[in-house]
Amino acid sequence: MSTKQDNIKKTIELPVMKSGTSSSKNKFWKSLNFMENSNSKEVKKAINNEFSDGVTDDFNIDELEPSSRRKFLALMSASSAFAAVACTDYRDKGEIIPYNNKPEGVFPGIANYYASTYTENGRGWGLLVKTREGRPIKLEGNPDHPINQGKLNAVAQSSILGLYDPTRLQSPMKKSGEKFVKSNWDTVDSEIKSDLSSASSAGKEIVLLTNTLFSPTFSSVLNDFKTKYPTTKIVSYELFNENNKLEAWKSCYGNENLPIINLDKAKVILSLDCDFLATDGDEVENARMYASAKDVNNLESYSRLYSIEAAMSLTGQNADYRMRLTPELQYDLVLSLINAVIKKGINADSSVASKVSGYNLEKFVSENGLSEIATNQLVADLIHHKGSSIVLAGQTLTTEVHIAVNLLNDILGNSALYSKENSRVSYNSIANNNDLKSLVSMMNSGKVGVLLNLDTNPVYHFAKELNFENALKNVNTVVSISEFENETTKLSSYILPANNNLESWSDAKVRTGIFSLGQPIIAPLYDTRQKESILLTYISNEKYTNEIYHTYLMSHWETKVYASANVASDFKTFWLSCLHDGVLKTKEAVTSLGKLNSSSFVSSKNTLSKNGFTLILKPSHFIGDGRYANNGWLQELPHPVSKITWDNYAALAPKTAKKLGVDTFGQIEVSLGDKKVTLPVIIQPGNAEDTISVELGYGRTVVGEVGTNVGVNVNIFLSSNSSSNWILIGANAKLVEGAYKMASVQEHHALDEKSGMLDIKDLHLKREIIQESSVVEYKANPNVIRHHQSEVTSITSAVAYPGVKWAMAIDMNKCTGCATCTASCNVENNIPVVGKDQVSRGREMSWIRIDRYYAGTPEEPIASNQPILCQHCDNAPCENVCPVVATTHSADGLNQMAYNRCVGTRYCANNCPYKVRRYNFYDFRDNLLDGYYYKESVNLIHNPEVTVRSRGVMEKCTFCIQRISEERQHAREQGRAIKGSNVITACQEACPTSAIYFGDANDKDSVIAKLREHDLGYHVLAEINVKPNVTYLAKLRNVQTEGAHSEHH
Amino acid sequence: MKKTVLDHALKVRLPITIVVILISFALTFYLSRAERDGVGYSPEQPIKYSHKLHAGTMKIDCKYCHNAVDKSRHAMVPPASTCMNCHQIARKDKPEIVKLKKYYDEGKPIPWKRIHKVPEYAYFNHSAHVNKNIDCISCHGDIAKMEVVEQVHAFTMGKCLECHRDPAQKMPYIKDVASIKKGPEDCGSCHR
Repeated sequence: MSTKQDNIKKTIELPVMKSGTSSSKNKFWKSLNFMENSNSKEVKKAINNEFSDGVTDDFNIDELEPSSRRKFLALMSASSAFAAVACTDYRDKGEIIPYNNKPEGVFPGIANYYASTYTENGRGWGLLVKTREGRPIKLEGNPDHPINQGKLNAVAQSSILGLYDPTRLQSPMKKSGEKFVKSNWDTVDSEIKSDLSSASSAGKEIVLLTNTLFSPTFSSVLNDFKTKYPTTKIVSYELFNENNKLEAWKSCYGNENLPIINLDKAKVILSLDCDFLATDGDEVENARMYASAKDVNNLESYSRLYSIEAAMSLTGQNADYRMRLTPELQYDLVLSLINAVIKKGINADSSVASKVSGYNLEKFVSENGLSEIATNQLVADLIHHKGSSIVLAGQTLTTEVHIAVNLLNDILGNSALYSKENSRVSYNSIANNNDLKSLVSMMNSGKVGVLLNLDTNPVYHFAKELNFENALKNVNTVVSISEFENETTKLSSYILPANNNLESWSDAKVRTGIFSLGQPIIAPLYDTRQKESILLTYISNEKYTNEIYHTYLMSHWETKVYASANVASDFKTFWLSCLHDGVLKTKEAVTSLGKLNSSSFVSSKNTLSKNGFTLILKPSHFIGDGRYANNGWLQELPHPVSKITWDNYAALAPKTAKKLGVDTFGQIEVSLGDKKVTLPVIIQPGNAEDTISVELGYGRTVVGEVGTNVGVNVNIFLSSNSSSNWILIGANAKLVEGAYKMASVQEHHALDEKSGMLDIKDLHLKREIIQESSVVEYKANPNVIRHHQSEVTSITSAVAYPGVKWAMAIDMNKCTGCATCTASCNVENNIPVVGKDQVSRGREMSWIRIDRYYAGTPEEPIASNQPILCQHCDNAPCENVCPVVATTHSADGLNQMAYNRCVGTRYCANNCPYKVRRYNFYDFRDNLLDGYYYKESVNLIHNPEVTVRSRGVMEKCTFCIQRISEERQHAREQGRAIKGSNVITACQEACPTSAIYFGDANDKDSVIAKLREHDLGYHVLAEINVKPNVTYLAKLRNVQTEGAHSEHH
Repeated sequence: MKKTVLDHALKVRLPITIVVILISFALTFYLSRAERDGVGYSPEQPIKYSHKLHAGTMKIDCKYCHNAVDKSRHAMVPPASTCMNCHQIARKDKPEIVKLKKYYDEGKPIPWKRIHKVPEYAYFNHSAHVNKNIDCISCHGDIAKMEVVEQVHAFTMGKCLECHRDPAQKMPYIKDVASIKKGPEDCGSCHR
């Protein structure tokens, strides 16, 4: 008897891991709070408890917002009315309304896909819009589109909510006194038209304010407008633009064709304040190319990323070597690098050599505390891989830095990486500070008769010292064409509601030889028009029809595109095939690069110098220039670096925060000259000292109910005077008393650190949630990850899965942590927005989250990202504890949730080691903002293949069971066996770097089966023997020294 | 000992009352079950369309009208244009056809009353069943004999599982016995 007991005891003993290599010894920490206060009561509680404080608070009706109670009463009366009706015939099941005349190819229950186009500041992507019964329900990238190749970013994924946003403008409005009154199109059109002609005949300017123009046809509309009204001036602006980069390019190469850089061919990438994986340039294309050179099965071309930056960015988190440098010194750094490579024997113009001779890299490195090992490695790499390395400078850096970087790339021969096939195109130049200043002075002198805002919001965006708001008062007629109310529409004479992108015709050309075509997927939901059509009615004397821009677009394509495309078919066939494909590729020559004009490199003195605090203004990850502020999904996506939702903040280095005496969620007042803003603070490990970095796009005051007053508006700091609008030196900061609580998901759902429950010393080291190694180590020993994996034996026999067994693998070498998977999952699986208050209670509902860990020191952290979703464990601990058998295991290895069976005991969530189960503490669709989700239009966004969950129900990742069922249906139709590789989950489909793999583990030839056996594959928390089915491929750091992080210890 | 009123109430009246309540509950429960499950429901339709005539007498294939049944989750109630394929010419003078033509000409859909309904939280798929040679009869009854369509079987989970567990017995018309496989019983097959 006793022996038997001993045996059992032995088998279930926790395995003790062999001590790993240096890299596995890293102590990972989830946040500064967790690391520094690892023994505090709160932190222990956070780690040990499934729910953080507030999550399980009792429901108290008095604490609800008064508006919710109003909604409750309204619903009560509505439901009693419904009950009365229902009683008349309780057997009534409603009606089935068929089509009167069904369009061919449309069947209820089957999705149709249409190609279209998505454009936003520099990005022109092909869309594939999934529609069900005529409503768009999901956006994917168009796989045939050469730029985005089937992928989108989180913003584009979530942008579909904008179509159904109940706060969209629904009819034209006219200012009458102080208020706006509803008007109709005929009235406003004729009034605006007469204003336009009188302004034009009086010789007053008509200003059209636009964003970047990508559309050849829209540009042609603008030209026609200019012909009709000769005093027209077109001014384009962007909150963040590439003017500095473009100016540098112009002075170096004499043209405006910024190159596309083949990052996939780069062996070494040096990013200088350039967040090319997230906010700088076309991140989807960049991420795809970057990740394709991070292939563990092709180590020979495995690239190395250096990042030297001030504020921790997504790119910095992914870097193999990351160093901190305040942005005003980037110029000195680049010149020192040029000098260093010239000294090591790289050929350069003798004038260049003499100009940089004063810059000594060793001196620079020691003065600014950079790592000597890393910089030496960098110089060696740049020289060794000359011609296949690239230096990237961020768009916010000054023109002189960009010129120096062009020069550095030139002398290293890195222009070999510039694409020979395509280059960027621009239809208009983006206004620089002087252009905007002259616009404002024209307005002030009364020389502007009409100002048309074409989907722009200058009152919110322009630098404060321009005083644009005041200048507007001197313009007779201000017209705003916009989808939503904004700060500028408020000050306009007319507000014209615009179509959503999915209701509009469009075309775009962001590259030579690539035309994108966009078609309306749904008829306008409200009385809206697209801006191109509105302008066309002002040009021509014809009355508006829905087809006006469609016809114009077709004829423009016929005369311009079709003529140059040189195809054999007639125009109609050509047009329909372009519409079907959404993209047209033509042969168009790329201007040859030419020789760098080294005389462009004039100044050898840095115009910026360190002075006080440096304020760094950064583009927001998810809400664009503020235009997506009303998109709840985007506001609630955790920031990829800080994991903050629903707010912006001042990010400070730990030492800087200490100096100011401020802690995370404290507040500081940042001032620059006479401009002052109070900002909440987070301490961001890895930020450069004496810098304050803040994201723009927040603090909108006039926007829909979701986005009003979310975050702080720091646009007032935008400078119209300095050499970079976004890097502002000489700022001051002081502590402000009082705390500002932000909703951070960083400490929610923590898996790491010590577990008080078992209280085994150093368990976090043994748990190995994140496993990493380096290329060198892996090459020397392919079993570097495998060899310290545990052997666990079970006391029960394993369940056999004879048929299909679903499994996922995530390649951590490719995953950048961009959160596109989360966004895609939100849309696919009807995941509600819960609001800031609920997020801060730990009740966010996303099924897939990105956990972020830091290793190393708070000053020089090394970051690791890890997407965590339901692991569909073979021995799922959640299943055993459900008292009502609502969560069970299927024969094909899925951990299933039957919502209508769940009674909400939450035992399963309590027992889930991965903390992936999400509970509907409210009917969040009703709870958020007075029943936001129940508004008729928002209801339309739901995926009809997925249940809309209600209050009191547990939910979690299903491995997209609706897509598995779809494949099963197709297999039956075609009389074949179900094929695992045909199922593509929403996260997998969206992942810009294709880091997620899904399929049938029993199909031995499939990719997924091979990845499950990969040397680098491991399971998170394998030692608890729940047999998870998500395999993670350990990340290889491409660092030269033995062990990824040893230099930091 | 003298019997009190309370004794009588507790020993005789109470048990009798309880028994009566239980029996009437049980009777009502079982007797009304079919009705609660919708069996026998045959509402009046906006157009008196006869399946008996079209599918029975004239032997028009079910899939001529319900042509999404092997492609989609929904069998699809046909658009008015499908009816008009024949009724542009056939029986133009009959009052019901006049009604049909009016709907068609005005571009209005015909608001057919719904008879069969699986709850929203269950994802039934017509094509998955029809492509496995399961006849419409198994769930909908012999529609070809119905002048007015009515629900014949209960559309409950128990009913679904009866066939999923014992398809050979429930679907004797499938001759190729070797091809008969049990239906899935995983929750996720229907609930997601």
